Amino acid sequence: MNGVSGERVLLLRHQGRLWGVLHDAVRTVTRGHDGFRVWLREGDITADHVLGVIDNLRIWPADGVLARFWGEKVGGLAVLGTTPVVVLDPGAPPTIFRSDAGSGSSVEPASDSDLGLDMGETP
Amino acid sequence: MPVSPADTAAGQSGGVAPADDRYLLVQAGDEKCALPLDRVRRIVRSLSVTPLPGASAELKGLAEFGGEPLTVLDFSRLLGAAPGASPAYPVTVIAWAGPDESHELVGLQVDAVLEVVSVPADNIAAGGDGIVRGDVSLGGEPVRVISLSVLGSVG
Repeated sequence: MNGVSGERVLLLRHQGRLWGVLHDAVRTVTRGHDGFRVWLREGDITADHVLGVIDNLRIWPADGVLARFWGEKVGGLAVLGTTPVVVLDPGAPPTIFRSDAGSGSSVEPASDSDLGLDMGETP
Repeated sequence: MPVSPADTAAGQSGGVAPADDRYLLVQAGDEKCALPLDRVRRIVRSLSVTPLPGASAELKGLAEFGGEPLTVLDFSRLLGAAPGASPAYPVTVIAWAGPDESHELVGLQVDAVLEVVSVPADNIAAGGDGIVRGDVSLGGEPVRVISLSVLGSVG
């Protein structure tokens, strides 16, 4: 594959799968009643678990066959160990991540220090 | 156990047929299909696949192959074939899809890999512009001849 890059990625688990978000796109992370909310520059998403930040994760483009057969926009693909990771497009996360499709938690953005995650920026 | 397509081809063709005429014959549902051998990189036991939410029926999900992510397709569904006798797809054919200038590896889950065959282009009854390039009769059985070059394009 061409266009492989190494990126700093926030790793999430949601609905039994691994997902990633480019670290630069994350404003902060808060804990809700039944999961986590990740505040992005373009909005927010829900996640069952926040696993941590991985440096230099190799990301492959996902604009060919996957784009043809999956209706969601994708920022890229990666592998952690032997497990595939979908790296989100922060401007258009898959439907299952949207807050209005999840728990309905109403937490507000707070300091990322709550979770011990260094996002490099607070809202 | 992984099987090298090059090794498989050597045992069947005897080096007589041009490379472009050699195909990997697979069973996908109730269809027999001929995949262009020069597009096949490897054949492995069915890969462990992570399904994706909301994916079309043709998309099995994502797998890991050689440390890289791999999109895996259900090949019989891609063809619209009826389910065959073996509903559990035991083999993944890892092949290059898309046009030559921007191809990518994909996994094609099939029921079985049968053999390597030679199919002269003149014997192929032309099909459409889609993934089925045409049809040919092999041993009295109809076989769909596949083009993987159009698989990566959207639309």
